[in-house]
Amino acid sequence: MTTEEEAPAVSAAGAPARLAARTRNLRKVYGKTVAVDHVDLDVPVGAVLGMLGPNGSGKTTTIRMLLGLVLPTAGTVELLGHKMPEGAGWALPEVGALVEGPGFHPFLSGRENLLRVAAAEPRLASKDIPRAVGQALERVGLSAAAHRRYRGYSLGMKQRLGLASALLIPRRFVVLDEPTNGLDPAGTREVRAVIADLHAAGTTVLVSSHLLAEVEATCTHVAVLHQGAVVAQGELAELLEAGDSGLLVSTPDVSVAVDALRDNRIPAREAPSGVHVDLAATTAPDVVATLVRAGVAVHEVRRQRTGLEELFARLTESAAQSAAGLSEVDTFEEAR
Amino acid sequence: MTIAVDAPIVTEQRTKAPVGRLLRAELRFMIRRPRTLVALAVLAVAPIIAAIAMSVATSTAANGNGGPAVQSIASLVAGNGLILPVFLLLLSLAMLLPMLGAMWSADALAGESQTGALRGLLLAPVGRVRLLAVKAFGVAVLSLIAVLIVTVVSVLAGLAILGGDGMLTMSGNVLLFGESLGRIALLAALVTVQVWAVAAVALAISAATEHPLVVLASTLGGIIVFTILGNIPALDWLHPVLLTDAWESLGDVIRDPMPTDGIVNAVLRAVCYLVIGYSIALARISTKDG
Repeated sequence: MTTEEEAPAVSAAGAPARLAARTRNLRKVYGKTVAVDHVDLDVPVGAVLGMLGPNGSGKTTTIRMLLGLVLPTAGTVELLGHKMPEGAGWALPEVGALVEGPGFHPFLSGRENLLRVAAAEPRLASKDIPRAVGQALERVGLSAAAHRRYRGYSLGMKQRLGLASALLIPRRFVVLDEPTNGLDPAGTREVRAVIADLHAAGTTVLVSSHLLAEVEATCTHVAVLHQGAVVAQGELAELLEAGDSGLLVSTPDVSVAVDALRDNRIPAREAPSGVHVDLAATTAPDVVATLVRAGVAVHEVRRQRTGLEELFARLTESAAQSAAGLSEVDTFEEAR
Repeated sequence: MTIAVDAPIVTEQRTKAPVGRLLRAELRFMIRRPRTLVALAVLAVAPIIAAIAMSVATSTAANGNGGPAVQSIASLVAGNGLILPVFLLLLSLAMLLPMLGAMWSADALAGESQTGALRGLLLAPVGRVRLLAVKAFGVAVLSLIAVLIVTVVSVLAGLAILGGDGMLTMSGNVLLFGESLGRIALLAALVTVQVWAVAAVALAISAATEHPLVVLASTLGGIIVFTILGNIPALDWLHPVLLTDAWESLGDVIRDPMPTDGIVNAVLRAVCYLVIGYSIALARISTKDG
């Protein structure tokens, strides 16, 4: 299910790359724990890539290595065409990131915290700092609370401030690690709107999440991580279609429907929510026509979306197992 | 309401923020910290309290009251106000100033790492070597400010409350006002270097942990252990490597003529600790997880 053969290689000469970020054979070991192993991640320019995976699957570790915050044990990272961490000075000014939650000082106001971050921002001219900070606060809806101490901020406001610091200047690449953590539904929608704005402006976005719906709503591309490895990546639409394609027919006359289809040599079986039809040898219109001819009442016919959902279900199941006492990495090693 | 966007925000194409801007932001941030303000206020008030206490002791002694301890202090400080900064600098070097240096070092890397703000700086990006330099600068300036506050306030308090226009040395003669101030300035500089040495070691620990309390506890614990070891005569072979062991010789500045051997030795030891501390800090920060 991996679609990485389509990904163009970043040219070594630093010519315009079609990948905003690329990792090869990335591995990180903490003591005896393998956090990330053999991660080959491709983030195409202009994509909104959702990094999916249960807690502890290596999403944050991968992002931290991508940004040069953590040194990989093995493997290579290229960010905007620059090798990391050596090229941090060239790559990072164009990257905005919110990693592992917002990190600010409680005794300073939101605005003062941002001013401090802005002072370290290479691209920002000193005279532009107050204006950039004001605009970033405006963008995340914190202008009214700008002069309140960070100590008194709600979880959602803290998250917004983190977002503001990632968006302090226009970026080519924005990395958001679980950006909707702690946000209320309105805040979640705002984050989605921000991501959509960035996407419309041509910015590449990498969003990590353990929420499937979150990724489906905002992303063009998906990478699924599980126990430190990328188990699937590619365009969202492709992954959704991947796997065995089938139709799910909801009908009150389940047995009649199955018989009618089988009489017409269409493989079908009873499913919990109706009839599952295998589309390997036929097409959806044929199935519907057959059913209607047989006089079966059909409430709804829909394509079964197996790819992402099933993958993700498998992931969450094994995550539940490892929570029962097994070390995730050990099971991963054994499984291989 | 939206802000009118009249000019593009990004006007610079550089890989590093100007270092002056970073240093200013760091200093502004450190000085604004409530704990820094409290510490500096305590340093400013302590000499005044000490001066008043000594003045009371003097008048008690003058009335023929008080025990031998009060009598001896009184005889030393009466009309000898410029001895007060020397007392206070040596006294605060024993624990208070190293503690503050360690506290600022602890906040500089371990504290920032704990809140996650260090990540923001690394992502800006501020290079790791630069980051350490900026942090070391902040700690050094704050330590200098702390020593200056003790010095200036105790000179003023000593002159105003205890009086006198010269300094009675341990050798028995009296230094003129100008030379007395010179000796005090020299002592302030020497004390600053010692605090920097402690802070450098604390910064190395700070680069290796994300718990500021670990930094503070191990630095203060180290000073206490060093002081104990320095007081065990059987371990005299160890004494030359103990930073704290050289601090006693700083009192030589109130001898006349001033012996320089002990003072030079103390400075060299401090420089060794500075080099070792910053080297370890540099090694640690270049691999520190952000």
